[in-house]
Amino acid sequence: MSDWYRDFANSGFGTTLVKQLGLPRPAVLRRFEPGQPLLPGPAIIGSAGEGRLREALTELLRAEGVHVQSPVTADGATDGEKPAAVILDATGLRTPGDLASAHDFLSPAVKRLRATGRVLILADPPSDADSPAQAAARQALDGLVRSMAKELRGGSTANLVHVPEGAEASIASPVRFFLSGRSAYVDGQVMSVSPAELPKADDDEQLLAGKVAVVTGAARGIGAAIAKVMARDGAHVVAVDIPAAGDKLAEVANEIGGTALQLDITAADAPQRLIEHLRERHGGVDVVVHNAGITRDKLLVNMDAARWNSVMAVNLQAQLDITQALLDTEGALKPNARVVCVSSQSGIAGNRGQTNYAASKAGVIGMVRAWAPQFAERGATINAVAPGFIVTEMTAKMPFGTREVGSRINSLQQGGLPVDVAETIAWLSQPGSGGVNGQTVRVCGQSMLGA
Amino acid sequence: MAVTVLDQAPNLGQLYAKAAVTARGRGGDLPDTRLARHGVQVDPAHLAAYARVCGMPLSDVLPATYPHMLTFPLQMALMSDRSFPLALPGLVHVRNRIEVLRAVRAHEPLDLEVWAENLAAHRSGAVVDLRATVSAGGEEVWRSTSSYLARGATAPDGAPQADVEVSVGGLERVVATWRVPDDAGRRYAKVSGDVNPIHLSGLTAKAFGFKRAIAHGMWVKARVLGALAGRLPDAVTVDVRFTKPLFLPSTVTLATEQHDGGWDVAVRNEKSGTEHVVGTVRPL
Amino acid sequence: MADTSKPATRKAAIVGGNRIPFARSNSAYAQASNQDMLTATIDGLVARFGLQDKQLGEVVAGAVLKHARDFNLTRESVLGSKLSATTPAYDVQQACGTGLEAAILVANKIALGQIESGIAGGVDTTSDAPLAVSDDLRRVLISLNNAKTVQDRLKALAKIRPGMIAPEIPRNAEPRTGLAMGDHAAITAKEWEIGREEQDELAVRSHHNMAAAYDRGFFDDLVTPFLGLSRDNNLRPDSSLEKLSTLKPVFGKGDPAATMTAGNSTPLTDGASTVLLASDEWAAENGLPVLAHLVDAQTAAVDYVHGGEGLLMAPVYAMPVMLARNGLTLQDFDYYEIHEAFASTVLATMKAWEDPAFCKGKLGLDSPLGPIDRSKLNVNGSSLAAGHPFAATGGRIVAQLAKMLHEKGPGSRGLISICAAGGQGVVAILES
Repeated sequence: MSDWYRDFANSGFGTTLVKQLGLPRPAVLRRFEPGQPLLPGPAIIGSAGEGRLREALTELLRAEGVHVQSPVTADGATDGEKPAAVILDATGLRTPGDLASAHDFLSPAVKRLRATGRVLILADPPSDADSPAQAAARQALDGLVRSMAKELRGGSTANLVHVPEGAEASIASPVRFFLSGRSAYVDGQVMSVSPAELPKADDDEQLLAGKVAVVTGAARGIGAAIAKVMARDGAHVVAVDIPAAGDKLAEVANEIGGTALQLDITAADAPQRLIEHLRERHGGVDVVVHNAGITRDKLLVNMDAARWNSVMAVNLQAQLDITQALLDTEGALKPNARVVCVSSQSGIAGNRGQTNYAASKAGVIGMVRAWAPQFAERGATINAVAPGFIVTEMTAKMPFGTREVGSRINSLQQGGLPVDVAETIAWLSQPGSGGVNGQTVRVCGQSMLGA
Repeated sequence: MAVTVLDQAPNLGQLYAKAAVTARGRGGDLPDTRLARHGVQVDPAHLAAYARVCGMPLSDVLPATYPHMLTFPLQMALMSDRSFPLALPGLVHVRNRIEVLRAVRAHEPLDLEVWAENLAAHRSGAVVDLRATVSAGGEEVWRSTSSYLARGATAPDGAPQADVEVSVGGLERVVATWRVPDDAGRRYAKVSGDVNPIHLSGLTAKAFGFKRAIAHGMWVKARVLGALAGRLPDAVTVDVRFTKPLFLPSTVTLATEQHDGGWDVAVRNEKSGTEHVVGTVRPL
Repeated sequence: MADTSKPATRKAAIVGGNRIPFARSNSAYAQASNQDMLTATIDGLVARFGLQDKQLGEVVAGAVLKHARDFNLTRESVLGSKLSATTPAYDVQQACGTGLEAAILVANKIALGQIESGIAGGVDTTSDAPLAVSDDLRRVLISLNNAKTVQDRLKALAKIRPGMIAPEIPRNAEPRTGLAMGDHAAITAKEWEIGREEQDELAVRSHHNMAAAYDRGFFDDLVTPFLGLSRDNNLRPDSSLEKLSTLKPVFGKGDPAATMTAGNSTPLTDGASTVLLASDEWAAENGLPVLAHLVDAQTAAVDYVHGGEGLLMAPVYAMPVMLARNGLTLQDFDYYEIHEAFASTVLATMKAWEDPAFCKGKLGLDSPLGPIDRSKLNVNGSSLAAGHPFAATGGRIVAQLAKMLHEKGPGSRGLISICAAGGQGVVAILES
């Protein structure tokens, strides 16, 4: 599924024409490939106030082989290589006045940011602030980041990570994710980490090595992409889909060296059958990706009970039932288990004709938030990913106009790919992502819907 | 008794033609002539073609009915000769008895000898036995008696009554159903050389008073033996009575029954039950 | 006979199975070849058990109706599958017994320690059936192919007659008797006085049992969809005695009391099935389950041509031999899988086992084997519902029964009985 417009706008003649017409020129995003360095160029790390993360960040990047430029060199000098990432440690903010230093650092540095660059700000959560002034300063970063994300061109992104006191050890995994090609379509987002006990030394290539991952709805589209990325990162994938999709499911399983499990997740005995299978074949499960979902669109006034009930059953109730059963069954979830639930932009912004779908997907967001503390207690996490406009077989069937508008109304001016969702999910599944819990990460290119 | 030794098998087509034009004015006693061939070698390709047409397995051992392929032309030569008292057209094969004294191998040089004997009276004419014997290395290995009925003919005074009946059991168990196609006669004629017009087509059969072409009796006999392949002793007597003509095409059934270490067999029309062939197969 | 010392062997484990939905002739799989179906079925098994690029001990499978192009069918299918190309394979054929016989072959090699794992299977298509040119034309074509000069070629061509062009379509008939299998079964049905209604009842139960099994997800890990089909398309969940009673007999037609209809006989079917067998050790090393073990098997044949026994009665003879060897009675089983070639076959088989005179006279038993608890018979449906792609039926039954025994729990026992063309029968014992 190629993006014809993006390809055209980046072709020789297309570039000229698009420029003259004043049309947007969607960039070719930097996506992750195995063996790729974390960043295609140096990084600049700055701080606003007395940040407590700068040293750890510098160490982390150097360990990844990233050349860290000093802000001084970057400021006005032209000899240095253009930075691929600009990172601001804003954990020292006390008042809105301190934000001036954020501006002083960011303005020249971002100016020199190369295409497909990354801006990442780390700050304390406003809710933990000592004073209204400090809360204001911290909250201000939201607006700053979201606006920057809209200003950046060339496939660059800007995101904000809240790091509460005590959660400093949790930043490595999110920092790597946001700087890498894995986060290509995650833009203008704000998320939080929390304190967690984390395993040491990650093998960046095979972050999921030895892990058993269940992916529901894996026969096609986003689910198949998730299965592939998880397998690429070393996981043994148990690919689940309804029996009627078994042939496509088998193809996916065979392509990635995983196993196929035909199961209707809405069946009453589905949780028990899934758990039995996982215990018998794998001695439990490390990662569960609740991806299976259906749409049965109709305006609310025309929607029958069947449409409502079937969407709820697949998209929400099955996730609840299976997760609950996993928690209740001794040994089903292995230590440091990860559950990732697929929500949707519709669940955040709503969508005409999708009251059922949006309700189910919003429900998922509430579900992970509520479950997060219980998961944290056992060293596990539960998170959601909310895809925006993702180019799939499903969207290929949309009318041309709807599809083009849908795919352009975001800061990256293009639709995301299933792999973008998959990379985000694979990141949340990593052992090192234990500090990310109860979050809903949007993979939407900073969509204008529900922003 | 005079024995005439032929160098090669007579051409059956020519013999039928000759017999047809010399049919009239026959009578008298059987000729005291024997026809013979020596050192006959079986043509493997012909044996294969025969086995195929008759539904028999192809092997190094000659099927019990195969030597008849070699002796039949000699018998025809005998019957078509002016000296033979019965006119060949209209002769009906009513019984055939074959005795295989030992397994005959396909590569063995064979000596053949045929003669006619036993002109006997029958309620609807006269019956003559055409005899044949086959030897290998001076030892008789095979012999046969083919009884032919000449309708309306008269046996000489004092001739014995013909014995053409073969008695068999009830034979109620059908073991096979055969669809005998339209061209079964032509196929067997091609292999056997027995181009008697009554087997070839409806038209030629009508000329001789049959409503449709009829299957060769010896082909039916061979098929029966084919169905019993693997269940026959090497030394065996196969004696069959050709009762009613098997019109082509037909669907027929084979019934078998074990008797005295051998078999009773019957081939009948599937629908009407008309009996075409009954016979006995006994170890020698 | 008590002291027959057996060589040291182990029991082969049945790990699981996979089949494609079975399709009535000339329907969903009309364009699929034996190799297409077998390859897809192996790939489904590979996906279910994570066998990608694995080298197994061997793959044994077969087809009853084979094309010339089906040369080395199983090996070619393996080469086209996701298994390692270094997995050896060979073909077998024992008519409708092919699938079970293949499983026995693999199990025996495992039992002897010659291999650790293997796949047994079977496939058949009656849609893409091998249509042969007439024998005469074939001979002309062969000589044409052998001709070296133009003259020879022309000579060969000149032998072609219009009548030779008509193709020979394989008939579902016994070569030695010329009778369709159904007509043979009809003779047996009559001999054993099997009534029309009990046959129809058996057929209805088969359809209902299988439909219910599908509905509760029983086949979720036994079947993988193929070419748009996710359930056997012969399956009639709404089958009823009323509907079946309206059908006219199709076999034993000459007989006014004929009982066998298209409803209580299996239709011509396309499909394929596979079973994964292994040693317990191999299964454990690969984290795979053991559903059941193949305990023992027995094959028998009857003289249906001249011997007066029914074509499909051989399993009746095989059973007491196997039971005696294992010290079991016919009643010692939790499930019975009697292949429903025809409803009448199943009923005649059971009736024969219950018949004292038959059991004494023909089987040499002092007392009859006795009745089978019908509630344990073909409980998830059998061939009348699923259809019967000859060589694929054995694999369907083995995998299905193994799963049933696994669900029932350790120590449960199941019995398989499959009749086959040529007067043969294969029976086997599975135990979880």
